Amino acid sequence: MSTQLKLKDEEVQGEVSGQSAEARVITVAVAGNPNSGKSTLINAIAGTRLHVGNWAGVTVEKKEALFDFGGRKIRLVDLPGTYSLSPYSQEEIVARDYLVHQRPDLIINVVDATNLERNLYLTVQVMELGIPVVMALNIYDEAQEKGYRIDTAGIQQMLGIAVVPTSATKKTGLDELLGTVLHVVDAPNLRVPKRLNYGEDIELASDYLAKTFQISYPALLQRYPQRWLLLKLMEQDSHVMKELGLDNLAFLDQALHHLRRAHGEDVESIMADARYSLASGLTREVLQKPELRQTELTEKIDKIVLNRFLGIPIFMAAMWLLFKLTFDLSAPFGKWIGAMTDGPFKRWASAILTPLGAPDWTVSLVNDGVIAGVGSVLVFVPVIFAMMFFITFLEGSGYMARAAFVMDRTMHSIGLHGKSFIPMLLGFGCNVPGIYATRTLENPKDKVLTALLVPLMSCGARLPVYVLFVGIFFPKNSSTVIWSLYVMGILLAVVMGLVFKRTLFRGEAPMFIMELPPYRMPSLHSLCVHTWEKGKHFLFKAGTYIFAVSVLVWFMLNLPWGVEHKRDSYLGQAGAAIAPVFEPVGFGNWEAASSLITGVIAKEIVVGTMGEIYAPKKDEKKGVPSLREDLKEVATTFGEACVKAVKTLLYLPQAEEKEEDRGGLNLAIQGAFTPLTAYAFMAFVLLYMPCVVAIAAMRQEFGTWKWAGVGLLYQTALAWTAALIIYQGGKLLGLGG
Amino acid sequence: MGIADVIIAAVIVAGACYILYATLWRKKGCCGCEGGSCCKK
Repeated sequence: MSTQLKLKDEEVQGEVSGQSAEARVITVAVAGNPNSGKSTLINAIAGTRLHVGNWAGVTVEKKEALFDFGGRKIRLVDLPGTYSLSPYSQEEIVARDYLVHQRPDLIINVVDATNLERNLYLTVQVMELGIPVVMALNIYDEAQEKGYRIDTAGIQQMLGIAVVPTSATKKTGLDELLGTVLHVVDAPNLRVPKRLNYGEDIELASDYLAKTFQISYPALLQRYPQRWLLLKLMEQDSHVMKELGLDNLAFLDQALHHLRRAHGEDVESIMADARYSLASGLTREVLQKPELRQTELTEKIDKIVLNRFLGIPIFMAAMWLLFKLTFDLSAPFGKWIGAMTDGPFKRWASAILTPLGAPDWTVSLVNDGVIAGVGSVLVFVPVIFAMMFFITFLEGSGYMARAAFVMDRTMHSIGLHGKSFIPMLLGFGCNVPGIYATRTLENPKDKVLTALLVPLMSCGARLPVYVLFVGIFFPKNSSTVIWSLYVMGILLAVVMGLVFKRTLFRGEAPMFIMELPPYRMPSLHSLCVHTWEKGKHFLFKAGTYIFAVSVLVWFMLNLPWGVEHKRDSYLGQAGAAIAPVFEPVGFGNWEAASSLITGVIAKEIVVGTMGEIYAPKKDEKKGVPSLREDLKEVATTFGEACVKAVKTLLYLPQAEEKEEDRGGLNLAIQGAFTPLTAYAFMAFVLLYMPCVVAIAAMRQEFGTWKWAGVGLLYQTALAWTAALIIYQGGKLLGLGG
Repeated sequence: MGIADVIIAAVIVAGACYILYATLWRKKGCCGCEGGSCCKK
């Protein structure tokens, strides 16, 4: 790509009249179906330097990029992926409002060449807006591999728009696409989208309406795209009618009279049929599929993966494999970071602060507070990124959509449909986007119920707690134990869904048609970009509120000033006050209780707080290595971690881990918990009240504290009950105490 | 612990509280964006 990207908001301001064509910023909106490769295309054009934000007033993600191409400035605006421009979901409303009100200079319509007919339905609607359109015929390479022959010249001729075959994953056709965009912007009259004929009855009604409107509301025809406005009025689109302040128009009834008499009352369906007929007819004209083709790979795999009996076991096995790979690969790097924060980093901090004359307590604050607290969380960054990588792989390969499909039956049993499983799957990364993703559900009841269940999905922030405890108490079965916690979250979501369905959310689950994209091998670039987008959140948290909480926890552990034992500090006293509540569930010590208090801010802070509480005393006997020795240690231990990760992955034999490798935190936890109480504690961390950001997201999403409060209360009660059953049940079964 | 220590400690605690406020509480009022575009309106 010859694009030189610059992302400066102020440059967008240069979009004012009176500037030369070269200086003007060309605004290009990118519209397309979900799974049409739109995001991959945008990433391929703009890379990781996209400006990611939200659409004003809603929590639908907005991506923008400003860059130079061919000596011109182009602002790319990524619209939410939608199947149509009807006002049924937040995404559709956002995309439509932007196109109608902001009027970009051009629309790139990303069309999946392997799903031409369905994608053309949106194309037909986009063309109604009267804005120049360039079609990016994406995933063209796959279509060719399947033997599809697409007559691009025919599409151009029939629709009157430029068509450019692209493959976003292979980055082909992108320069041609941007070149065509400039060409069309400079000579819009050469590429005017054709006015598609929706059939005699609709066109007659439209013409009648246009004439009447030109007399009665000429200003509206200036403000809105005329063709689009008339079609929306005929559909009696409530969103548009409300926006225009029009109601009960007598001439509208006259215009629709013949249409209704000929085709029935539901004009919206008549219009949808007309658009589908156009998309279907066009596809028949331009697409040739091989007559006799073998059963495709996707179909072959789906026969097994979507099997009624095998579907869920395969999903569970896939999840187990995901955890296995994640931990095998990342554990050596986590240990390396732990060794660095415990050793060289603390030594370097002391070496910098002491000569500056910093008081002893500030050195302790940095070492035992910030480095111990933030470091305890940073140890788990490799795990989180590895897990996000594999989750992204499953999403990109098309398997996650299958997972939602196989869960559809289970979801119906709790009054939801498979689409609700998608926010829950997102919840495995982080509950907050999972809660926001409930916006894609049309039914308000589904939204609330799904949002209440999303926090039961074990997010990445809980992982540091699991990894810490599993590493100490279940080193031989780490993947299986962590997998069991994830499964516990899913099963309890089913149970709670059943409870809610019979109490707060009575009613039938709506039907839903789920799209299953073909299996694809995601590109490494795309995997890395999406992994970074998912994982950077944890680095941001470590640098901001985990850092801040580590500082505050240090003070709470050292106040009143000069306190001898941490148990007598403010945090220790608070922990000790609520510790009796946890006595029946097996971890009624003040250290665990204090960690659970701070963990309300974010679940990984449980580990950070334990890191500070159990911070080992300085070993004065040990000699202090020089900077050179420290740097050598950093490099050699990193090399060892790489070798260990590869050996683990390839199942090569490894030397037994030395006992002295274990840090002071591990030894302290080993003294305070047993395997049974550790498992009960992990279950409690999985289930107890959502973090404050998730609670704020629920409050924001539903405009009331009511559902956030319900979530907070039921989860904490559920967590305590589950931990009680695990601990007391385990004791009864003789699993220890 | 001298008065200078108390002042330094107070500044550090205030800074930590501000970071918490800025990342958790203040953000709640807006739509949760990271780019900041929606917060400007």
